[in-house]
Amino acid sequence: MTPAATALSIVALVVLGTIGFALYAVRRVEMDPQQYIVGGRSFGTLFLWVLLAGEVYTSFTFLGAAGWAYGKGAPAFYILSYGTCGYILGYFFLPKVWRIGKERGLLTSPDFFLDRYGSRTLCVCVAILQFFLVVPYVTLQLTGLQILLSMAGYGEYHAKIAVGIAFVLIALFVFTAGLRGTAWASVIKDALVLGAVVFAGIFIPMRFFGSPGAMIGRLLEVHPHWLTLSTGTKGLGITWYVSTVLLTSIGYYMGPHSIAAAYSARDENTIRRNAIFLPIYQIVLLLVFFAGFAALLIVPGLHGSAVDQSFMLVVQRFYPPWVLGAIAGAGALAALVPASALLLGAASVLSKNVIGDLLGIATGDRARTFVTRLLVVVVAAMALYLWLVYKTTLVNLLLLYYNGVTQFMPGFVFALVWRRVGAWGVGAGIGAGMAVAAYLAYHSIDLGGINPGFLALLVNVALCATVTLLTPNRKPAGDAAGSL
Amino acid sequence: MTRTRSIVRWVLALVPPFMLTAAIPFANRVEPRIAGLPFLLAWIVLWLILTPAFLACIYRLEGRP
Repeated sequence: MTPAATALSIVALVVLGTIGFALYAVRRVEMDPQQYIVGGRSFGTLFLWVLLAGEVYTSFTFLGAAGWAYGKGAPAFYILSYGTCGYILGYFFLPKVWRIGKERGLLTSPDFFLDRYGSRTLCVCVAILQFFLVVPYVTLQLTGLQILLSMAGYGEYHAKIAVGIAFVLIALFVFTAGLRGTAWASVIKDALVLGAVVFAGIFIPMRFFGSPGAMIGRLLEVHPHWLTLSTGTKGLGITWYVSTVLLTSIGYYMGPHSIAAAYSARDENTIRRNAIFLPIYQIVLLLVFFAGFAALLIVPGLHGSAVDQSFMLVVQRFYPPWVLGAIAGAGALAALVPASALLLGAASVLSKNVIGDLLGIATGDRARTFVTRLLVVVVAAMALYLWLVYKTTLVNLLLLYYNGVTQFMPGFVFALVWRRVGAWGVGAGIGAGMAVAAYLAYHSIDLGGINPGFLALLVNVALCATVTLLTPNRKPAGDAAGSL
Repeated sequence: MTRTRSIVRWVLALVPPFMLTAAIPFANRVEPRIAGLPFLLAWIVLWLILTPAFLACIYRLEGRP
C-alpha cells in the first residue's frame, strides 16, 4: 500500500465511521420540522455544548488559525479573544431569544424578526441575506477539506474530485439526519480534533525544539516582533485587532445555525451554563498557534493562501502516513460536521421563511421537511461553485462572513431592550450596514486599521436609531421587550 | 435583583471584554514572559481562564440553581 493510499484510507474510515455512527443514533427519530431543524428543543448540556462550541473546531481552527500564526503572527491572537467575548454576550441574550422561540414556536432566526417587528418583508430580507452569507462559511470548510485531502494524498490524487465526493456525502448526511445527527457527529468530531490538536501543538514542538517554551524562544530570536501587534493605524495593528474582536464577538451568534442551536436547548439555564464554560474550550486554540509557530521555523517560505497548509506540511514530511491520515481524518470531520450545521441553518431559513411563509408552498410538516432537505443540496452546490472560482485564505473567508452576519445584531438587541424600534429602523440599519461592508471590502479601502465590518456596524446602529427616532412611536410590544 | 447587584453584574460582565480589547495596548509586549509565553499571549490566555469565573459569579448573583 502506498503512503497516500494508507493516509486516505484512514481519512475515509474516520469520516464514514462518524457518519455511520450518527445515522445509527438517529435511526428511530421521526423527522418533523421541529425535530429536523431544532432537534425537538430537547438538547441537554452535552449536545448544546458541541453545537455551540462547533465554531471553535472547524477547518478555520484546524488550518486557518495555524496558517495565520504562521503568516501573520500576533494578529492571529484575535481568534483567541473573540469567542470569549461572544460567549459573554451569549450568556445575556441567547436565553432571552430561546424563551421567545419556545413561547412562539419559532424555528429560524428570521422568525424572530417577524415575531418582534411584525414585518414579513423584513423577515424575508433577513432570510435571503442569511442564506447567501452562509455560502462563504461553507466554502471555507471546502477549502480546508481540499488542503487536508491533497496533503493526505501526497499530491498523487486530484483533490477536487475527493472534495466533491466528501461534500455530496455530507449533504446526503444532513438530508437524512437533521440537527440531532449533526450533534451526534459533533461529539465524535470534537474528541478526535482535540487529540489531533494536542499532537500538533505539543508533540511537534517537543520533537523539534524540546518544548513549546523553547520553540517560542527560538521564534523570538528569528522574528523578534512576531508576537506583538504593530502600533499605529497601518495594517493589522492594535486598531485592527480591537475592532475585529468587537466585530466578530458581536456577530458570534448571528449565523442561522447558531440561533437554531440556541433554540434546540432544553431550557434557559442550559444555555447559561454552556456560556460559562465555553471560554475554557478556546484555550485549545493556543496549541493550534504553537503548531503554526513550529511550522514557521521548520518549513519557512510559504506565502499567500499556502500558509493554511503549513502545519500539515510538517506532518506530511516528518511523520508516517498513518499519523498523517489520522490527523487529516480529524481535520476532515472539522470541515464536514460544521458544514452540515451551516447547510441545515441556511436551508431552513429559506424553506420556512421564503418558500413556506412568503410563497405559501410546502407549509405542511412533511412537505416543509422535504423542501428543507432539497435546499441543503442547493446550498452545498452553491458553496462548491464559490469554492471553485474564489481563492483566498481561510481567515479572509471567515471575516467576509462576519462582516455580513454581524449586521443582524442591532435588530436582535433592540428587539429585547428598546420597544420603540420598528421594522423600518432595523431594515434601514441592516441595508446600510451591508452596503457599507460590501463597498469597503470590495474596494479594499484603508480605514486607518479599523475593520470595515465594524465601521459598517456603527453606520447600521446610527441609522437604525435615527430612523426610529424620526418615525412615530409604535404600540408597545408584548412581554419580551425589556431588560437583558 | 437589587440595584447594587445589577450594577455589580454588569461590571463583572464588562471586565473580560475590556481586558481583551481596550487594555491590549498596555499588554502589547513580549517581556516578562509567563510560563514561556510572550506577555501579550499570556494576558489573553489569562482572561480566557478568568472569564468563566466572572460568568459563574454573575450566575450566582442572579440566584440561579
